Amino acid sequence: MSDHGYFGQYGGSFIPEILYSSQQQLLKHYREAMADPSFIADVKREMQQYSGRPTPLTHCANLSAQLGGAQIYLKREDLNHSGAHKMNNVIGQGLLTKRMGKKRVIAETGAGQHGVATALISARLGLECTIYMGAHDIERQYPNVFWMKQLGATVVPVTTGSQTLKDALDEALRDWTSSFEDTHYLIGTSCGCEPFPEMVAGFQSVIGEEVKEQAMAQIGAMPDKIYACVGGGSNACGIFLPFVGTDTELIGIEAGGRGDGVGEHAKRFNTDQAKFGISQGYATMFLQDDQGQLAPTHSISAGLDYVGVSPILADLSDRGLVRMSSALDTEVVAAFKQLMLAEGIIAAMESSHAIAGGLREAASLDPSQNIVINVSGRGDKDIFTIAKALEDEPFKDFLRSYLEGQD
Amino acid sequence: MNTLAKFIKEQRQTKPILLMTHVIYGYPSIDESLQMMKTLLEKGASILEVQFPFSDPVADGPVITNACHQALESQPKLQQCLKDISALGAAFPDSKVLLMSYLNPLLQYGFKQLAEDMSPHVCGVIIPDLPIDHHKMLEPLLQAEVDPIWLIIPGMDKQRIELVCEHARGLLYCVSRKGVTGQGADSESAHQQLQQYLGEINQHTTVPLALGFGIASAEDVRGISGLVDVAVVGSALLRAHQNGGLNGFADKADELLSATS
Repeated sequence: MSDHGYFGQYGGSFIPEILYSSQQQLLKHYREAMADPSFIADVKREMQQYSGRPTPLTHCANLSAQLGGAQIYLKREDLNHSGAHKMNNVIGQGLLTKRMGKKRVIAETGAGQHGVATALISARLGLECTIYMGAHDIERQYPNVFWMKQLGATVVPVTTGSQTLKDALDEALRDWTSSFEDTHYLIGTSCGCEPFPEMVAGFQSVIGEEVKEQAMAQIGAMPDKIYACVGGGSNACGIFLPFVGTDTELIGIEAGGRGDGVGEHAKRFNTDQAKFGISQGYATMFLQDDQGQLAPTHSISAGLDYVGVSPILADLSDRGLVRMSSALDTEVVAAFKQLMLAEGIIAAMESSHAIAGGLREAASLDPSQNIVINVSGRGDKDIFTIAKALEDEPFKDFLRSYLEGQD
Repeated sequence: MNTLAKFIKEQRQTKPILLMTHVIYGYPSIDESLQMMKTLLEKGASILEVQFPFSDPVADGPVITNACHQALESQPKLQQCLKDISALGAAFPDSKVLLMSYLNPLLQYGFKQLAEDMSPHVCGVIIPDLPIDHHKMLEPLLQAEVDPIWLIIPGMDKQRIELVCEHARGLLYCVSRKGVTGQGADSESAHQQLQQYLGEINQHTTVPLALGFGIASAEDVRGISGLVDVAVVGSALLRAHQNGGLNGFADKADELLSATS
């Protein structure tokens, strides 16, 4: 990383002046904390004793045999407390909030996983918690909203713009401009101004570090390829960064959505609809129109439905150190089902993008090769979306009778 | 001294305070927004700030954010906006027209092109998500005599105020309090703090000062008369339009302007 949070031409800090001193304070505390062995020990302890780390590396013998190609391993971030990798980051930033003496956290959330993780850690650390969530996402992911509220968080529906993750991020930034004195903005992905991309990717890198150890212990070699879904990019950064510059190929899978039309997908790479831009506090590849207006996005998974991408990944892609690909909604549902039936693992829709990308390429690899796919989260949160995608009629009957108050 | 600063100082010879009024290009429609701008200029508003809407206006509160999103439905083009407001600037030489937008739409347009198309009738630009640290990005504007207008905020440390003042041209936009646009005015008790805050800034610059955020009435404008050169009114005019259409807007403009003579 170069000075001032730049990653190649991406990153940097482009925030309203009002946030400058708060950002400087965060930078100072973050650097001090990372140099303090007791802080690092606290983070590690919470990751182990609260979230259940290390998460396993699971060999998929059945799936590998079905495809007849590479040996498929899954990094089981779905087995974190809260059911997703988001917990790694909130533990780190939650402890940092306490260290800074702030009493409140705010966060944006797309799928709701980061919102739930933030609400959980806030309850544990005794922090006040406000979550901004696009009204459209609230509709898609109400069960997560339910849990945030039960955990004592205030959930604020964001009704401006496209009512998804980018608007939630804007609204959280607005809150922060008037609340920074006692509030930490706990960003959920490796985007935003310095030091957020580096900080979130750093706390998430425990994923890749564990894969290194587990691969040596279980496979006796480093994986040939690693696949991760890319929305904002925190799970991808987490599993990729410890492998950058090694012989392991790193492949990011974006949301291909319904197709290549404007507003039908959330691909920031391999499309001319995305170009270099600066917004939401940082420079990256943004989906945008010819006037520089950020474009609408679509994905079957709310967590990948984001208009920008981690500046770290944009830079790694430019440098040829990460290969970006994508998976369509339909491929994602098929991959989700295939994994579920072959191995009894219910992956999140977000993670199923990585699975779709991995399975697509695994068949053409040699059985002596090994790939790792990051299962960033578990899929039971997606029960409504998946039941709909699978056109499960009894599920509708159940909802009807539930609403009618019948047993 | 450059044009905008000189203009403000000259105007201040006869007026206790100048009014900087704000209109969003394209809200509620391009034609009506141009009508609103014309109304303000005809009534003698000294400075007109035209916001080119952006999809993600993080420094704006709900009133302006929602208006920007509505304005975007008519797909405004920055090139046409600059043509339209340059024409207004040319037609009303006794007032100054400024552009306000967020970084990305301007970045995509290119600062060289922007400088060419703004000059000479749109004489300054406000970019709330561009911190002073990136002032070099705006060099093409300086060459075309277009002033980047930087923000000063309460609680800014001395060193940073000095940095901003070093690059200040045209006018300095002093934010009266933390937060986003469109919230209530400061309480009486804050008046002394405000005096202290502006006094500190005045120690470092001779560039005229504008004060914005929370100025909603003629009374508010009178309240800061003598403290700064320019009062910035944004959301209040927009609200007047939302409540009373063009007539309500014109009435509000009259009310505000009554405080400037």
